[in-house]
Amino acid sequence: MVLGIVLALIAGSLVSLQNIFNSKVNERAGSWATTTLVLGLGFLASLMFGLIFEGKQIFNFQHMQTWYWFSGMIGVGVVVCLVQGMKLLGPTYATSIALIAQLGFALMWDSLGWLGLEKVPFTPQQLIGVLMVVGGIIVFKLGGGRETQKSSELT
Amino acid sequence: MKGIIFALLGGAFITLQGVANSRISQDIGTWQAATITQLTGFIMAFLILLFVRDGRGQGFKQVKPLYLTGGSFAAIIIFTNVTAIHEVGVTLTISALLIAQLSLTFIIDIKGWFGVAKQKIRLSQFIGIGMMITGVVILRS
Repeated sequence: MVLGIVLALIAGSLVSLQNIFNSKVNERAGSWATTTLVLGLGFLASLMFGLIFEGKQIFNFQHMQTWYWFSGMIGVGVVVCLVQGMKLLGPTYATSIALIAQLGFALMWDSLGWLGLEKVPFTPQQLIGVLMVVGGIIVFKLGGGRETQKSSELT
Repeated sequence: MKGIIFALLGGAFITLQGVANSRISQDIGTWQAATITQLTGFIMAFLILLFVRDGRGQGFKQVKPLYLTGGSFAAIIIFTNVTAIHEVGVTLTISALLIAQLSLTFIIDIKGWFGVAKQKIRLSQFIGIGMMITGVVILRS
């Protein structure tokens, strides 16, 4: 349990840093040049770690299914939707909604167990926990004085 | 309304990405899953870039080299995210991830690190993070 949470905390910290770095690139290079660079570097870094930890095993695609090749398109969908959402709503509201949607879909996924992931049974307690986190996001993002914010709007 | 739908879908896709990576990693391994999704995403983004031509390739030269390296974090983000989902499920993973993400951004805002415009601390931000942590405690108990 603790290991999973620690790993998720590491992931979140890196997402925060990555968002700030990427937004700096975005300002100068535009969103598609930035996305291309970001995914290209992500690919090289993943390949490198794979070679370090697994050697040639990384090229073993025995159990590959066709749709795996298309999973990268999801990342492109993320960029399209967030860029459009921010254009139409402004960053604060767009990111608040996106954060809440992340959690809502996470809860749905756990309870339905789609794609063969282990099902986590839906309980009222889970719903209360998620609502609490969602409330926290809303208070964090929209509470108090709404001065113009810069980096926190982008995550 | 259109904006709300885009933002909702954007969030849904972020979660879907983590779930898809977890699923794929069960079959071919986590580093392989990260490598393939990033490679296909890269190819797709590159094709779109050629098509829309919004790119200002020279723009890269005006950015501090450090900031150009952000993409490489994805390898570790995907690995930790996928392993966490296998350990504790999607809901708890995303909740903990968001707490760390918002908290670190909050600290960077206050300190003005990485050339970010310094922000004043607001009480509501502490309350918000406190509520999120309470939510995670409820989720895991």
